[in-house]
Amino acid sequence: MSGSAHSEHAESKVRYGMVIDLDKCTGCGACSVACQQENNVSFRPDESDKLRTLSWMTLYRLENGAGYPDYRAAMLPRPCMHCDSPHHSPCTFVCPVNATIRDEHTGIVDHVAVRCIGCRYCMVACPYHARSFNWWDPKWPKSMEAMLTPEVSPRMRGVVEKCTFCHHRLNLARDRARLNGEDPDSVVYTPACAEVCPTGAITFGNLKDPNSDVAKLAKDPRAFRLLEKLHTEPKVYYLSSAQWIRRQSDNGL
Amino acid sequence: MSLGRRAFLQFVGGAIGGTLLTPIPWKLADDSAIWTQNWSWRPSPERGEITRVRSVCQLCPGGCGITARLVNGRRAVAVTGNEAHALSGGGVCPMGASSLQYLYAPYRIQQPLKQMGSRGDSKGFKPVSWAEALKEVTAKLTKLRSEGKSHTVACLTGQKRSTMARLWKRFLTAYGSPNFYTMPDAADSMRLAVALTTGRDAEVGFLWDKATYVLNFGAPLLEGWGSPVYLQKVFGRWQTEKPGVPRTVLVHVESRASLTASKAHRWIACNPGTEAALALGIAHVLVRDKLYDAAFVAEKVFGFEDWTDATGAQRKGFRNVVLAKYGVEETAKITGVAPQTIQDLARELAKQKHALVVWGQDKGDKPNSLYHDLAFLALNALLGTLTPSGTVVLVPPDPWGDLPEPVLDTEAYRGAGQTALGRPSTVPRTKAPVNTVLPFLEALASGSEYPVELLFIHEANPAYSLPETALVTQALQKAAMVVSFSSFMDETTQWADIILPNHTALERLDDVIGLPGAPYVYYALASPIVKPLYDTKGTGDVLLNLAAAVGGGVAESHPWKTYEEVLKATVASIAKAGTGLVATAGSFDPASVLPGRPLQPNFKDAADLWNKLKAGACWVDAPAAVESFATPSERYELACQGLMVSISPTAADDLFMPRFHPLKPSGEESEFPLLLVAYASLMLSEGYVPNTPFMNKLLPDDVLRKQDVFVEIHPETARTLGLADKAAAVLKTPRGETPVRVRLTTAVKPGVVAAPQGFGHTAYDEYVQQKGFNANSLVEVQLDPITGLGTLWATRAQLRRA
Ligand code: SF4
Ligand code: SF4
Ligand code: SF4
Repeated sequence: MSGSAHSEHAESKVRYGMVIDLDKCTGCGACSVACQQENNVSFRPDESDKLRTLSWMTLYRLENGAGYPDYRAAMLPRPCMHCDSPHHSPCTFVCPVNATIRDEHTGIVDHVAVRCIGCRYCMVACPYHARSFNWWDPKWPKSMEAMLTPEVSPRMRGVVEKCTFCHHRLNLARDRARLNGEDPDSVVYTPACAEVCPTGAITFGNLKDPNSDVAKLAKDPRAFRLLEKLHTEPKVYYLSSAQWIRRQSDNGL
Repeated sequence: MSLGRRAFLQFVGGAIGGTLLTPIPWKLADDSAIWTQNWSWRPSPERGEITRVRSVCQLCPGGCGITARLVNGRRAVAVTGNEAHALSGGGVCPMGASSLQYLYAPYRIQQPLKQMGSRGDSKGFKPVSWAEALKEVTAKLTKLRSEGKSHTVACLTGQKRSTMARLWKRFLTAYGSPNFYTMPDAADSMRLAVALTTGRDAEVGFLWDKATYVLNFGAPLLEGWGSPVYLQKVFGRWQTEKPGVPRTVLVHVESRASLTASKAHRWIACNPGTEAALALGIAHVLVRDKLYDAAFVAEKVFGFEDWTDATGAQRKGFRNVVLAKYGVEETAKITGVAPQTIQDLARELAKQKHALVVWGQDKGDKPNSLYHDLAFLALNALLGTLTPSGTVVLVPPDPWGDLPEPVLDTEAYRGAGQTALGRPSTVPRTKAPVNTVLPFLEALASGSEYPVELLFIHEANPAYSLPETALVTQALQKAAMVVSFSSFMDETTQWADIILPNHTALERLDDVIGLPGAPYVYYALASPIVKPLYDTKGTGDVLLNLAAAVGGGVAESHPWKTYEEVLKATVASIAKAGTGLVATAGSFDPASVLPGRPLQPNFKDAADLWNKLKAGACWVDAPAAVESFATPSERYELACQGLMVSISPTAADDLFMPRFHPLKPSGEESEFPLLLVAYASLMLSEGYVPNTPFMNKLLPDDVLRKQDVFVEIHPETARTLGLADKAAAVLKTPRGETPVRVRLTTAVKPGVVAAPQGFGHTAYDEYVQQKGFNANSLVEVQLDPITGLGTLWATRAQLRRA
């Protein structure tokens, strides 16, 4: 199906996307922890070297730059943007081995670790720093191996990884739909981050379904996307009523 | 067949499409699983049937619903929220979401241990059998009791909102010791303040959903104060546009631009620790301009006008005191808040239909100065929020009545007559319990009064999480025998003689009573999600076992065979009370619960309630409306007559009422020109459990970088000290010094150093250790001169280049 990507892109009824309401987000970090757990993201004793750490959902601190007491901060959770630019996302365009591909049926940009040759072109191409590289083989404390989930394979040294919009949850939902005789293309599912967010800041769904919350919110006057000037067409939208936050959306992270 | 490279890739692409069409429940999105033989050193998680168990989190007092996902019913692989839970919805906090990392932690204690070497030597512990360990503890208990020394046995538990706390208290009462303590809590001082002013033993609950305007003095509502996820949900509702409904306005008062301050609609920056002065300044304007609820004050309040005390002496009332002492200019000088702002805040508050004044500090784990609690309560009283139609309710801690009275034998009576170790005589006698943890530890460390022969420590890590850690460690060394029930080898447990490891929160049946800050009576059961992994025992069962072994009145007071029976008794009394319901999200609207309107039960009987609670639901009821007061004046006492016993009869009039009462920090300003404040965050745990590896990943590299923790200082402060951003420095307070790095930010006021709580562990494992310093080892506790509770606001500090 990747061969006929372009035509299918135009036709598909499904484009999964996410809206993160920064007016609601309190920067607690539950989304990121849920993501790590859901996807067997490995960790090391020292996680403070942010160029080496593995993180699919990263929280960035935005600051308004004002002096005391006009200073304000906000946290911005950043998953993969699942860029919907025509033909290719920036990362899929450069991958020499088709390890990272956009599923034109759903719009999800996947990364298949076993095909990845670790060249890291995609990491360079991604303007959102959404990708991390496995500099080491993952190693869990022995007793913690028991909590690895079988739904997502642990990765290995030398490959890239990133947010998959919890693609395995979509597959489960599609399988369930098929077994129930429903249309797999109309399934809605919730990724781990959206599921646990205590303020309800994260909305997920089909952007092409005009009745979905996510489609409605993406058209909210507060909505914006990161680095829109690059025309990467992210399928992750943010909402904010704060001018100073919206102004930063065209700065690099 | 020969495949070109392009064709090969298409082929693989096709294979992916194919797998997506196969209805196999555990099909993977990526195809690595079928390749695992190539990466044999990388773990391949065992597959199997996936099931879900619902429970309630016990890692903090939040009482959130959780769902655990299990593989083959054995392996827990994820903890998320429970979307059916009425108050936390599907939400969890980062600690709740990583709770499996405590269950599977390498630093768990796997069987009873006994210290064979010298105290404090973490290598000296040797495994012993349960029978042996219990025999030794029983022997000690029996011996002390026969020697008439029962009062020298003490307990400190961190499980404050559980039947466990009641069981410990009961055990000590029946055994004959007044030395029962829980880890410090904002409720320790608040319950005293409520008892003095209203004559009731209750916690304060806030009607968040009803309030249209919330003036918050310092409570980090979005960073772990109160019931964290419930409050995040409330905030989510405030931030959701509802046509025709004006948004609730949150005004936050604090010295530092915390996330709560940033997220608030308005942030009022004040000098550290001066929130109570601002509250009194606002009260001054309300009184001066007659903006207060005159009807409530006239009918229900005592001590607003001048009054006559029991000795017949004339005393000034609140009106005259607040008019004389908290003028706008004076308040502005103390707080650093502009006079105009103080007036505006008062007028805005008075205009509101449903104003709410809340206050607090950190994660609600610090008692406040009694006078400051009184000040915030007074502001609520002036605004009339304590009326049945107001926004503040009094939530009784156990509305359905406690367990039956313990049986007191002679030794128990003797013990009850002893004074709790270190307890000051000034503590007002009210219905509220007294929890003087720090005076107890101080007396223990200094060896004054009487020794402690046996100290039980349960679900708490005081050697790390209490302020003034040095004092705690000294105290631990002075206790003749320390028994820890910890599931983890933490800083405190290292000082134990015997360790009787508890099941972790996810392996045991337990309960949660009440939600801090919420306007509900709340009860939930936490069910185990997996069988215990190791040779551990639930402390409730161990305690019943010890009670039976000690015999006499102690055994008689504990007629239950298992802790489960005790919980069943509690649930039975809830069912018998006949109000309150099993609340489920969707059918239950948290905003609809109003004081004085008890909820109709939706369960058949105690057994039905038990089953529903065990399945992860919670029980909720509305508290009674505050119609009357049980004080000597039968009114809300702005001037607290209950304080007559605590302070000398010749004391000044303002000592009976709310006042701004900062305790002078030690050290000379010339040596320590800065003020150190410590802050809490949901990304950091400073309580019984440490940060998980999952949580560590959240931390920005300007908070923690390798072993260095950053403190925040204003660029101006940095300039005077000659420190550049990220520079290494030494932070010194009268309590100690530590290497730090500085982060320059205008989030803090010049002259202030803000340090994160939750770093600097020395115990546990390599994922936890070697990360910065423990803020608790640098801060200074100040004992409230009346209640003896340990309060904290700011510590004098000095920063110098490293
Ligand atoms: S869980 Fe929700 S509130 Fe918390 S950081 Fe993530 S998006 Fe923000
Ligand atoms: S969608 Fe899934 S993979 Fe992506 S950030 Fe959220 S939890 Fe992580
Ligand atoms: S807020 Fe407290 S109770 Fe709720 S999930 Fe977090 S730790 Fe558990």
